[in-house]
Amino acid sequence: MQKSLIAKGLSKKYGSKTALSDFSITIEKGEIFGLLGANGAGKTTALECILGTKKPDAGSVEILGMDPVKDRKRLFQKVGVQFQQTNYQDKITVKEACEVAHSLYSKPADWSRLLKMFGLDNKQKQPVNELSGGEKQRLSVILALIPDPELVFLDELTTGLDAKARRDVWKYLELLKEKGLTIILTSHYMDEVRALCDRICILKQGSTVILDTVDRVTESSPYDNLEEAYLWYSEEEVEIDECV
Amino acid sequence: MSAFRTMLLTEGKLVLRGFDVVFFGVLMPVIVAVILGLIMGGKPAYEGAGFTFMEQSFGALAAIGICAEGLMGFPLVVADYRHRKILKRFKVTPVSPALLLFVQCVINFAVTLISLLFVYAACALMFGYRMSGSPVEFILAYGLVILAIFGIGMMLASVAPDLKTANMLCSLVYFPMLLFSGATIPYEIMPSGVQKVMDFLPLTQGIKLLKAVSLGAVTDHLLFQILLMAAFAVVCTAISIKFFKWE
Repeated sequence: MQKSLIAKGLSKKYGSKTALSDFSITIEKGEIFGLLGANGAGKTTALECILGTKKPDAGSVEILGMDPVKDRKRLFQKVGVQFQQTNYQDKITVKEACEVAHSLYSKPADWSRLLKMFGLDNKQKQPVNELSGGEKQRLSVILALIPDPELVFLDELTTGLDAKARRDVWKYLELLKEKGLTIILTSHYMDEVRALCDRICILKQGSTVILDTVDRVTESSPYDNLEEAYLWYSEEEVEIDECV
Repeated sequence: MSAFRTMLLTEGKLVLRGFDVVFFGVLMPVIVAVILGLIMGGKPAYEGAGFTFMEQSFGALAAIGICAEGLMGFPLVVADYRHRKILKRFKVTPVSPALLLFVQCVINFAVTLISLLFVYAACALMFGYRMSGSPVEFILAYGLVILAIFGIGMMLASVAPDLKTANMLCSLVYFPMLLFSGATIPYEIMPSGVQKVMDFLPLTQGIKLLKAVSLGAVTDHLLFQILLMAAFAVVCTAISIKFFKWE
Protein backbone atom coordinates (compact mmCIF):
# COMPACT_ATOMS: atom_id res chain seq x y z
CA MET A 1 0.00 0.00 0.00
CA GLN A 2 1.09 3.54 -0.73
CA LYS A 3 2.49 5.60 2.12
CA SER A 4 1.09 9.10 2.62
CA LEU A 5 3.46 10.10 5.35
CA ILE A 6 6.68 8.78 6.81
CA ALA A 7 8.15 10.54 9.84
CA LYS A 8 11.30 9.15 11.43
CA GLY A 9 12.86 10.06 14.75
CA LEU A 10 11.48 13.60 15.03
CA SER A 11 12.75 15.43 18.10
CA LYS A 12 12.28 18.99 19.24
CA LYS A 13 13.41 20.86 22.32
CA TYR A 14 12.45 24.35 23.46
CA GLY A 15 15.36 25.40 25.59
CA SER A 16 15.84 22.53 28.00
CA LYS A 17 12.24 21.31 27.73
CA THR A 18 11.69 18.33 25.46
CA ALA A 19 8.55 18.93 23.41
CA LEU A 20 8.89 15.88 21.18
CA SER A 21 11.28 12.97 21.34
CA ASP A 22 12.00 10.31 18.74
CA PHE A 23 8.57 10.54 17.13
CA SER A 24 8.06 8.11 14.23
CA ILE A 25 4.89 7.30 12.28
CA THR A 26 4.02 5.81 8.93
CA ILE A 27 0.57 6.56 7.57
CA GLU A 28 -1.06 4.67 4.73
CA LYS A 29 -3.04 6.28 1.97
CA GLY A 30 -6.72 6.54 2.86
CA GLU A 31 -6.15 6.16 6.57
CA ILE A 32 -7.59 8.37 9.31
CA PHE A 33 -4.94 8.74 11.94
CA GLY A 34 -5.47 10.32 15.35
CA LEU A 35 -2.77 12.04 17.37
CA LEU A 36 -3.85 12.16 21.01
CA GLY A 37 -2.50 13.46 24.27
CA ALA A 38 -3.10 15.98 26.99
CA ASN A 39 -2.54 19.68 26.37
CA GLY A 40 1.20 20.22 26.08
CA ALA A 41 1.90 16.56 25.27
CA GLY A 42 3.46 17.52 21.93
CA LYS A 43 0.66 17.02 19.39
CA THR A 44 0.94 20.44 17.81
CA THR A 45 4.75 20.33 17.90
CA ALA A 46 4.60 16.97 16.12
CA LEU A 47 2.29 18.41 13.44
CA GLU A 48 4.45 21.49 12.98
CA CYS A 49 7.65 19.46 12.67
CA ILE A 50 5.93 17.26 10.09
CA LEU A 51 4.68 20.30 8.13
CA GLY A 52 8.00 22.10 8.28
CA THR A 53 6.64 25.19 10.06
CA LYS A 54 8.95 24.18 12.94
CA LYS A 55 12.40 22.84 12.33
CA PRO A 56 12.93 19.57 14.20
CA ASP A 57 16.26 19.14 16.00
CA ALA A 58 16.52 15.66 14.54
CA GLY A 59 14.61 13.31 12.26
CA SER A 60 13.22 13.24 8.75
CA VAL A 61 9.81 13.65 7.13
CA GLU A 62 8.43 12.57 3.80
CA ILE A 63 4.89 13.55 2.83
CA LEU A 64 3.44 12.06 -0.39
CA GLY A 65 7.03 11.24 -1.29
CA MET A 66 8.14 14.86 -0.93
CA ASP A 67 10.23 16.90 1.48
CA PRO A 68 7.90 19.44 3.17
CA VAL A 69 10.58 22.14 3.26
CA LYS A 70 12.34 21.68 -0.08
CA ASP A 71 9.24 20.73 -2.11
CA ARG A 72 6.95 23.13 -0.24
CA LYS A 73 5.21 24.62 -3.25
CA ARG A 74 4.54 21.29 -4.97
CA LEU A 75 3.58 19.47 -1.79
CA PHE A 76 1.08 21.99 -0.46
CA GLN A 77 -0.86 21.85 -3.73
CA LYS A 78 -2.05 18.47 -2.42
CA VAL A 79 -2.05 18.99 1.32
CA GLY A 80 -4.60 20.94 3.36
CA VAL A 81 -3.87 22.21 6.86
CA GLN A 82 -6.10 23.47 9.63
CA PHE A 83 -4.21 24.99 12.52
CA GLN A 84 -5.63 25.00 16.02
CA GLN A 85 -6.34 28.68 16.12
CA THR A 86 -6.80 30.36 12.83
CA ASN A 87 -6.70 34.13 12.53
CA TYR A 88 -7.85 36.09 9.54
CA GLN A 89 -7.21 39.52 8.11
CA ASP A 90 -9.35 42.21 9.74
CA LYS A 91 -12.74 42.73 8.11
CA ILE A 92 -12.29 39.93 5.57
CA THR A 93 -15.57 38.19 4.71
CA VAL A 94 -16.20 34.46 4.53
CA LYS A 95 -16.51 34.65 0.75
CA GLU A 96 -13.24 36.58 0.37
CA ALA A 97 -11.33 34.18 2.62
CA CYS A 98 -12.59 31.32 0.44
CA GLU A 99 -11.76 33.14 -2.79
CA VAL A 100 -8.20 33.84 -1.66
CA ALA A 101 -7.70 30.21 -0.58
CA HIS A 102 -9.20 29.06 -3.89
CA SER A 103 -6.80 31.22 -5.91
CA LEU A 104 -3.73 29.57 -4.35
CA TYR A 105 -4.29 26.10 -5.81
CA SER A 106 -4.12 24.66 -9.29
CA LYS A 107 -7.07 22.27 -8.96
CA PRO A 108 -9.14 23.52 -6.04
CA ALA A 109 -12.45 22.18 -4.79
CA ASP A 110 -15.74 24.07 -5.25
CA TRP A 111 -15.80 26.26 -2.13
CA SER A 112 -19.45 27.25 -2.41
CA ARG A 113 -20.35 23.57 -2.25
CA LEU A 114 -18.18 23.16 0.84
CA LEU A 115 -19.89 26.15 2.47
CA LYS A 116 -23.27 24.56 1.79
CA MET A 117 -22.10 21.21 3.10
CA PHE A 118 -20.97 22.78 6.38
CA GLY A 119 -23.99 25.06 6.71
CA LEU A 120 -22.19 28.34 6.12
CA ASP A 121 -23.55 29.29 2.70
CA ASN A 122 -25.80 31.99 4.16
CA LYS A 123 -22.79 33.60 5.89
CA GLN A 124 -20.79 34.42 2.75
CA LYS A 125 -20.97 38.21 3.18
CA GLN A 126 -20.34 38.14 6.92
CA PRO A 127 -16.95 39.24 8.26
CA VAL A 128 -15.08 36.18 9.51
CA ASN A 129 -14.37 37.87 12.85
CA GLU A 130 -18.10 38.17 13.53
CA LEU A 131 -18.74 34.44 13.11
CA SER A 132 -19.47 32.37 16.20
CA GLY A 133 -16.76 30.06 17.52
CA GLY A 134 -18.36 27.03 15.91
CA GLU A 135 -18.83 28.77 12.57
CA LYS A 136 -15.20 29.92 12.58
CA GLN A 137 -14.12 26.38 13.33
CA ARG A 138 -16.13 25.03 10.41
CA LEU A 139 -14.66 27.69 8.13
CA SER A 140 -11.12 26.67 9.08
CA VAL A 141 -11.96 23.06 8.16
CA ILE A 142 -13.45 24.24 4.85
CA LEU A 143 -10.30 26.22 4.05
CA ALA A 144 -8.20 23.11 4.70
CA LEU A 145 -10.38 21.21 2.22
CA ILE A 146 -10.36 23.86 -0.53
CA PRO A 147 -7.10 22.49 -2.03
CA ASP A 148 -9.07 19.26 -2.74
CA PRO A 149 -6.19 17.58 -0.91
CA GLU A 150 -4.86 14.04 -0.91
CA LEU A 151 -3.85 14.51 2.70
CA VAL A 152 -5.33 16.85 5.27
CA PHE A 153 -4.10 17.85 8.73
CA LEU A 154 -6.81 18.86 11.19
CA ASP A 155 -5.68 20.14 14.58
CA GLU A 156 -8.62 19.89 17.03
CA LEU A 157 -11.10 19.84 14.21
CA THR A 158 -14.37 19.99 16.13
CA THR A 159 -13.46 22.00 19.22
CA GLY A 160 -16.30 24.43 19.85
CA LEU A 161 -18.81 22.68 17.59
CA ASP A 162 -22.24 21.59 18.78
CA ALA A 163 -23.25 17.92 18.61
CA LYS A 164 -25.04 18.20 15.27
CA ALA A 165 -22.23 20.13 13.59
CA ARG A 166 -19.70 17.58 14.83
CA ARG A 167 -21.69 14.73 13.32
CA ASP A 168 -21.94 16.64 10.04
CA VAL A 169 -18.18 17.14 9.94
CA TRP A 170 -17.58 13.46 10.73
CA LYS A 171 -19.98 12.36 8.01
CA TYR A 172 -18.28 14.53 5.46
CA LEU A 173 -14.79 13.36 6.44
CA GLU A 174 -15.94 9.71 6.11
CA LEU A 175 -17.21 10.53 2.66
CA LEU A 176 -13.87 12.02 1.70
CA LYS A 177 -12.08 9.04 3.20
CA GLU A 178 -14.03 6.74 0.89
CA LYS A 179 -12.70 8.76 -2.00
CA GLY A 180 -9.15 8.09 -0.78
CA LEU A 181 -8.39 11.14 1.37
CA THR A 182 -5.85 10.58 4.12
CA ILE A 183 -6.59 12.44 7.34
CA ILE A 184 -4.32 13.20 10.28
CA LEU A 185 -6.18 14.76 13.17
CA THR A 186 -5.80 15.67 16.80
CA SER A 187 -8.77 15.60 19.13
CA HIS A 188 -9.71 15.62 22.78
CA TYR A 189 -13.02 13.84 22.15
CA MET A 190 -12.78 10.07 22.38
CA ASP A 191 -16.21 9.53 20.78
CA GLU A 192 -14.87 11.40 17.78
CA VAL A 193 -11.68 9.36 17.73
CA ARG A 194 -13.74 6.16 18.01
CA ALA A 195 -16.02 7.20 15.18
CA LEU A 196 -13.30 8.33 12.79
CA CYS A 197 -9.84 6.96 13.44
CA ASP A 198 -8.32 3.76 12.13
CA ARG A 199 -5.19 4.09 14.20
CA ILE A 200 -4.12 6.39 17.00
CA CYS A 201 -0.94 7.49 18.66
CA ILE A 202 -0.97 8.68 22.27
CA LEU A 203 1.71 11.17 23.25
CA LYS A 204 2.85 11.95 26.75
CA GLN A 205 5.44 14.60 27.46
CA GLY A 206 6.64 14.38 23.89
CA SER A 207 7.06 10.60 23.78
CA THR A 208 4.91 8.01 22.06
CA VAL A 209 3.16 5.85 24.66
CA ILE A 210 1.28 3.62 22.26
CA LEU A 211 0.57 3.52 18.54
CA ASP A 212 -2.04 1.06 17.34
CA THR A 213 -5.60 0.58 16.11
CA VAL A 214 -8.36 1.98 18.30
CA ASP A 215 -9.52 -1.50 19.34
CA ARG A 216 -6.09 -2.76 20.23
CA VAL A 217 -5.29 0.35 22.25
CA THR A 218 -8.43 -0.34 24.30
CA GLU A 219 -7.74 -4.07 24.59
CA SER A 220 -4.18 -3.62 25.77
CA SER A 221 -5.35 -1.46 28.69
CA PRO A 222 -7.12 -2.72 31.82
CA TYR A 223 -10.31 -0.96 30.64
CA ASP A 224 -12.96 -1.79 28.09
CA ASN A 225 -13.60 1.63 26.60
CA LEU A 226 -11.37 4.06 24.74
CA GLU A 227 -11.94 7.03 27.01
CA GLU A 228 -10.62 5.23 30.08
CA ALA A 229 -7.90 3.47 28.14
CA TYR A 230 -6.78 6.86 26.83
CA LEU A 231 -6.71 8.37 30.30
CA TRP A 232 -4.83 5.35 31.60
CA TYR A 233 -2.20 5.67 28.89
CA SER A 234 -1.85 9.40 29.19
CA GLU A 235 -2.10 9.09 32.97
CA GLU A 236 -4.72 11.72 33.48
CA GLU A 237 -6.89 9.83 35.96
CA VAL A 238 -6.04 12.26 38.74
CA GLU A 239 -7.46 15.10 36.77
CA ILE A 240 -10.82 13.37 36.29
CA ASP A 241 -11.59 13.67 39.96
CA GLU A 242 -10.94 17.37 39.76
CA CYS A 243 -13.24 17.74 36.77
CA VAL A 244 -16.09 15.86 38.46
CA MET B 1 -7.87 34.37 -11.23
CA SER B 2 -4.22 34.33 -10.24
CA ALA B 3 -3.27 34.31 -6.57
CA PHE B 4 -1.62 37.72 -6.91
CA ARG B 5 -4.66 39.39 -8.48
CA THR B 6 -7.11 37.83 -6.05
CA MET B 7 -5.02 38.85 -3.07
CA LEU B 8 -4.44 42.34 -4.40
CA LEU B 9 -8.16 42.78 -4.95
CA THR B 10 -9.13 41.37 -1.56
CA GLU B 11 -6.46 43.17 0.45
CA GLY B 12 -7.29 46.36 -1.46
CA LYS B 13 -10.94 46.04 -0.42
CA LEU B 14 -9.85 45.47 3.18
CA VAL B 15 -7.81 48.68 3.10
CA LEU B 16 -10.82 50.65 1.84
CA ARG B 17 -12.98 49.14 4.60
CA GLY B 18 -10.52 50.35 7.21
CA PHE B 19 -10.88 54.04 8.00
CA ASP B 20 -7.31 54.71 9.12
CA VAL B 21 -5.39 54.18 5.89
CA VAL B 22 -7.70 56.37 3.85
CA PHE B 23 -7.80 59.03 6.56
CA PHE B 24 -4.13 59.24 7.49
CA GLY B 25 -2.79 58.47 4.01
CA VAL B 26 -5.10 60.53 1.81
CA LEU B 27 -7.46 62.82 3.73
CA MET B 28 -5.00 64.18 6.26
CA PRO B 29 -2.45 65.42 3.69
CA VAL B 30 -5.29 67.11 1.81
CA ILE B 31 -6.60 68.73 5.01
CA VAL B 32 -3.14 70.04 5.91
CA ALA B 33 -2.70 71.33 2.36
CA VAL B 34 -6.03 73.18 2.51
CA ILE B 35 -5.32 74.72 5.91
CA LEU B 36 -1.84 75.79 4.88
CA GLY B 37 -3.21 77.13 1.61
CA LEU B 38 -5.93 79.14 3.35
CA ILE B 39 -3.43 80.72 5.71
CA MET B 40 -0.43 81.28 3.49
CA GLY B 41 -1.58 80.28 -0.02
CA GLY B 42 -0.80 83.11 -2.40
CA LYS B 43 1.83 84.86 -0.31
CA PRO B 44 5.41 84.76 -1.50
CA ALA B 45 7.56 82.24 0.34
CA TYR B 46 9.64 85.08 1.80
CA GLU B 47 10.07 88.71 0.96
CA GLY B 48 11.24 89.04 -2.59
CA ALA B 49 10.92 85.31 -3.34
CA GLY B 50 10.08 84.34 -6.90
CA PHE B 51 7.62 81.64 -5.76
CA THR B 52 4.66 81.40 -3.38
CA PHE B 53 4.52 79.72 -0.02
CA MET B 54 2.26 77.08 -1.54
CA GLU B 55 4.74 76.32 -4.28
CA GLN B 56 7.47 75.99 -1.70
CA SER B 57 5.39 73.70 0.53
CA PHE B 58 4.06 71.29 -2.07
CA GLY B 59 7.00 68.90 -1.68
CA ALA B 60 6.42 68.78 2.07
CA LEU B 61 2.66 68.22 1.78
CA ALA B 62 3.26 65.40 -0.67
CA ALA B 63 5.47 63.67 1.90
CA ILE B 64 2.71 63.37 4.56
CA GLY B 65 1.18 60.42 2.70
CA ILE B 66 4.57 58.70 2.44
CA CYS B 67 5.01 59.13 6.17
CA ALA B 68 1.57 57.71 7.01
CA GLU B 69 1.81 54.69 4.71
CA GLY B 70 5.50 53.95 5.16
CA LEU B 71 5.76 54.37 8.92
CA MET B 72 2.28 53.33 10.04
CA GLY B 73 0.18 51.60 7.39
CA PHE B 74 2.66 49.18 5.88
CA PRO B 75 4.81 48.11 8.86
CA LEU B 76 1.86 47.73 11.24
CA VAL B 77 -0.02 45.47 8.82
CA VAL B 78 3.10 43.32 8.44
CA ALA B 79 3.62 43.14 12.21
CA ASP B 80 -0.06 42.32 12.71
CA TYR B 81 -0.12 39.55 10.08
CA ARG B 82 2.95 38.04 11.66
CA HIS B 83 1.60 38.39 15.20
CA ARG B 84 -1.70 36.72 14.30
CA LYS B 85 0.06 33.94 12.36
CA ILE B 86 -1.61 34.84 9.10
CA LEU B 87 1.80 34.61 7.40
CA LYS B 88 2.34 31.21 8.96
CA ARG B 89 -0.95 30.01 7.49
CA PHE B 90 0.31 30.96 4.03
CA LYS B 91 3.44 28.90 4.67
CA VAL B 92 1.40 25.71 4.44
CA THR B 93 -0.06 26.65 1.05
CA PRO B 94 1.68 26.55 -2.34
CA VAL B 95 2.04 30.32 -2.32
CA SER B 96 4.87 32.07 -0.55
CA PRO B 97 3.96 34.34 2.37
CA ALA B 98 6.26 36.83 0.64
CA LEU B 99 3.51 37.30 -1.95
CA LEU B 100 1.22 38.59 0.77
CA LEU B 101 3.91 41.10 1.81
CA PHE B 102 4.46 42.12 -1.79
CA VAL B 103 0.71 42.69 -2.20
CA GLN B 104 0.77 44.97 0.86
CA CYS B 105 3.73 46.82 -0.56
CA VAL B 106 1.94 47.42 -3.86
CA ILE B 107 -1.24 48.58 -2.10
CA ASN B 108 0.54 51.04 0.16
CA PHE B 109 2.62 52.31 -2.73
CA ALA B 110 -0.60 52.89 -4.65
CA VAL B 111 -2.27 54.67 -1.71
CA THR B 112 0.76 56.97 -1.48
CA LEU B 113 0.52 57.83 -5.17
CA ILE B 114 -3.23 58.46 -4.82
CA SER B 115 -2.43 60.71 -1.85
CA LEU B 116 0.01 62.66 -4.05
CA LEU B 117 -2.67 63.03 -6.71
CA PHE B 118 -5.24 64.33 -4.22
CA VAL B 119 -2.81 66.79 -2.64
CA TYR B 120 -1.88 68.06 -6.10
CA ALA B 121 -5.55 68.37 -7.09
CA ALA B 122 -6.36 70.27 -3.89
CA CYS B 123 -3.43 72.65 -4.32
CA ALA B 124 -4.07 73.15 -8.02
CA LEU B 125 -7.85 73.59 -7.88
CA MET B 126 -8.11 75.65 -4.71
CA PHE B 127 -4.92 77.68 -4.77
CA GLY B 128 -3.91 77.66 -8.42
CA TYR B 129 -0.73 75.70 -7.75
CA ARG B 130 1.42 74.75 -10.74
CA MET B 131 4.63 72.79 -10.46
CA SER B 132 7.51 74.77 -11.92
CA GLY B 133 9.89 71.81 -11.82
CA SER B 134 9.73 68.76 -14.07
CA PRO B 135 6.87 66.38 -13.08
CA VAL B 136 8.90 63.39 -14.23
CA GLU B 137 11.83 64.34 -12.02
CA PHE B 138 9.40 64.94 -9.17
CA ILE B 139 7.84 61.48 -9.55
CA LEU B 140 11.32 59.93 -9.58
CA ALA B 141 12.32 61.82 -6.45
CA TYR B 142 8.99 60.91 -4.85
CA GLY B 143 9.59 57.23 -5.62
CA LEU B 144 13.05 57.43 -4.07
CA VAL B 145 11.70 58.99 -0.85
CA ILE B 146 8.98 56.29 -0.75
CA LEU B 147 11.66 53.58 -0.96
CA ALA B 148 13.67 55.18 1.85
CA ILE B 149 10.71 55.71 4.21
CA PHE B 150 9.08 52.33 3.44
CA GLY B 151 12.52 50.82 4.07
CA ILE B 152 12.62 52.41 7.52
CA GLY B 153 9.08 51.17 8.22
CA MET B 154 9.88 47.64 7.07
CA MET B 155 12.99 47.61 9.22
CA LEU B 156 10.98 48.62 12.31
CA ALA B 157 8.44 45.87 11.59
CA SER B 158 11.23 43.31 11.19
CA VAL B 159 13.28 44.06 14.27
CA ALA B 160 10.26 44.46 16.58
CA PRO B 161 9.85 41.24 18.57
CA ASP B 162 6.08 41.67 18.91
CA LEU B 163 3.15 43.77 17.81
CA LYS B 164 3.28 46.07 20.84
CA THR B 165 6.91 46.99 20.23
CA ALA B 166 6.23 47.47 16.53
CA ASN B 167 3.39 49.84 17.42
CA MET B 168 5.60 51.77 19.79
CA LEU B 169 8.59 51.97 17.43
CA CYS B 170 6.39 53.14 14.57
CA SER B 171 4.77 55.84 16.72
CA LEU B 172 8.19 56.93 17.99
CA VAL B 173 9.36 57.43 14.43
CA TYR B 174 6.11 58.51 12.79
CA PHE B 175 5.13 61.46 14.99
CA PRO B 176 8.53 63.21 15.12
CA MET B 177 8.88 62.73 11.36
CA LEU B 178 5.38 64.08 10.78
CA LEU B 179 5.89 67.14 12.98
CA PHE B 180 9.61 67.88 12.75
CA SER B 181 10.61 67.08 9.21
CA GLY B 182 8.67 69.93 7.70
CA ALA B 183 5.91 67.68 6.40
CA THR B 184 3.16 69.40 8.40
CA ILE B 185 4.78 72.37 10.16
CA PRO B 186 6.82 74.20 7.53
CA TYR B 187 10.58 73.89 7.99
CA GLU B 188 11.03 77.52 6.99
CA ILE B 189 9.07 78.97 9.93
CA MET B 190 11.19 77.09 12.51
CA PRO B 191 14.04 78.85 14.35
CA SER B 192 17.40 78.02 12.86
CA GLY B 193 18.47 76.09 15.96
CA VAL B 194 15.48 73.77 15.61
CA GLN B 195 16.14 73.47 11.90
CA LYS B 196 19.60 72.09 12.66
CA VAL B 197 18.03 69.35 14.77
CA MET B 198 15.37 68.70 12.13
CA ASP B 199 18.12 68.18 9.56
CA PHE B 200 18.97 64.90 11.27
CA LEU B 201 15.63 63.35 10.36
CA PRO B 202 15.90 61.50 7.07
CA LEU B 203 12.51 62.76 5.93
CA THR B 204 13.69 66.37 6.36
CA GLN B 205 16.32 65.67 3.72
CA GLY B 206 13.78 63.83 1.57
CA ILE B 207 11.46 66.84 1.76
CA LYS B 208 14.30 69.19 0.84
CA LEU B 209 14.84 67.05 -2.24
CA LEU B 210 11.13 67.07 -3.13
CA LYS B 211 10.90 70.84 -2.61
CA ALA B 212 13.93 71.58 -4.76
CA VAL B 213 12.70 69.33 -7.57
CA SER B 214 9.15 70.74 -7.47
CA LEU B 215 10.53 74.28 -7.62
CA GLY B 216 12.71 73.35 -10.57
CA ALA B 217 15.79 74.18 -8.53
CA VAL B 218 17.72 71.02 -9.37
CA THR B 219 21.38 71.55 -8.55
CA ASP B 220 24.44 69.52 -7.64
CA HIS B 221 23.67 70.19 -3.97
CA LEU B 222 20.85 67.67 -4.18
CA LEU B 223 23.32 64.84 -4.66
CA PHE B 224 23.68 64.58 -0.88
CA GLN B 225 19.92 64.11 -0.41
CA ILE B 226 19.65 61.66 -3.28
CA LEU B 227 22.51 59.52 -1.96
CA LEU B 228 21.12 59.70 1.58
CA MET B 229 17.67 58.52 0.46
CA ALA B 230 19.20 55.73 -1.63
CA ALA B 231 21.38 54.68 1.31
CA PHE B 232 18.37 54.54 3.65
CA ALA B 233 16.41 52.53 1.08
CA VAL B 234 19.21 49.98 0.56
CA VAL B 235 20.47 49.64 4.13
CA CYS B 236 17.05 49.53 5.82
CA THR B 237 15.62 47.08 3.31
CA ALA B 238 18.69 44.85 3.72
CA ILE B 239 18.34 44.95 7.52
CA SER B 240 14.62 44.22 7.33
CA ILE B 241 15.22 41.20 5.09
CA LYS B 242 18.05 39.95 7.30
CA PHE B 243 16.01 40.16 10.50
CA PHE B 244 12.64 39.27 9.05
CA LYS B 245 10.66 36.61 10.92
CA TRP B 246 7.66 34.82 9.46
CA GLU B 247 6.34 34.18 12.96
